[in-house]
Amino acid sequence: MAMDVAERIHEQLTRCGITLAASLPDDWVAPLIERIAADNQIRHVRVAREAEAVAICSGAFFGGVRAVALMGATGLLTCTGELATLNLRHQIPVFLIVSQRGSIDDHRIYQEVQGRRTIPLLQAYDFPYHIIDQPEDVTSIPDAFETCRMQKRPFVLFLTRRLVKGEGAS
Amino acid sequence: MRAREAIDVLARNRGETVAVCALGMAANEWWAATKSEDSFYMHGAMGFAASFALGLALSLPQVPVWLINADGSLCMNLGCLLTEASQAAHNLKHFVVDNGVYQTVGALPMVNGGRTDYAAIARASGFPRAHTIEALDELERQIPAIVAEDGPSLTVLRVEPEKGFLRTPPMTYEGPEMKYRFGRALERRFGIKVFGPQGY
Repeated sequence: MAMDVAERIHEQLTRCGITLAASLPDDWVAPLIERIAADNQIRHVRVAREAEAVAICSGAFFGGVRAVALMGATGLLTCTGELATLNLRHQIPVFLIVSQRGSIDDHRIYQEVQGRRTIPLLQAYDFPYHIIDQPEDVTSIPDAFETCRMQKRPFVLFLTRRLVKGEGAS
Repeated sequence: MRAREAIDVLARNRGETVAVCALGMAANEWWAATKSEDSFYMHGAMGFAASFALGLALSLPQVPVWLINADGSLCMNLGCLLTEASQAAHNLKHFVVDNGVYQTVGALPMVNGGRTDYAAIARASGFPRAHTIEALDELERQIPAIVAEDGPSLTVLRVEPEKGFLRTPPMTYEGPEMKYRFGRALERRFGIKVFGPQGY
């Protein structure tokens, strides 16, 4: 991830009032995670499975704390059951930042299913999402966070390869 | 020791604790014993009440948080012990009601057939304190010290398996209402803002 993009996203998360982050890294979001980990105003929780991050953020909601879960696209697929039976069931908002793996410029065979099926899966669950593809759109994060709270369900903010790796990166 | 007896002891000693209950038997017994609205009763995400409780404990560091977990839920996400130990939340206590079966589906046996020492797993995961309690009188004797000690701690309560689908009925309100009752209860108790000015 280009460092200025991580910095911009981090700045917007701070504007949202986020003081807790739970993460399991994917290489596209790893620089953002390490930037957040270095911020002593944000409690950072490293987890062993992505659904832990979802449930930690859900518990934090009831402590009046604004939280974000960070993970890769594969991790998002692993926790759709928990997102449904915890967050949909109880109408608990949870804000997720996820790498949009499997896009046409992501030439990794083990990501192709995620690229084809993740958004249809979110649509089936009626989970809102927003895709950030350009650095200028990072400023939409506070609106996305507020939408997540208002819709009282999981909201996925996808980061594209072009955003995190820059134009023309191999 | 029966599950209800063990839960009754915890309920009598809970003081100002906020509880998070794994879905199923543990949640039902806690509701029967306390009728408390400042407890969260999971309706799903089996295995992840531990993570929910950790998020709550980290967000309210001055508030004692108890997780009322069960062995079936713990086994579905043993990795939660690594995260709990790493975060070292001093205000979090993890209780595991261990009956060796999936009670609410007819007491079918679990995978491990009583071979597993959960307290040893917790210690090996980095928990500074872990206990296993086999009998009611032992629980009565030890509970004051467990309540007083710093977290994170894990206490396994070995109870008898009991049969009967929903032998103890669940709480009388469901998902979204539980969210609002719990959130409003915490707002009143701790002066925090869970919901915004428009109620969401």
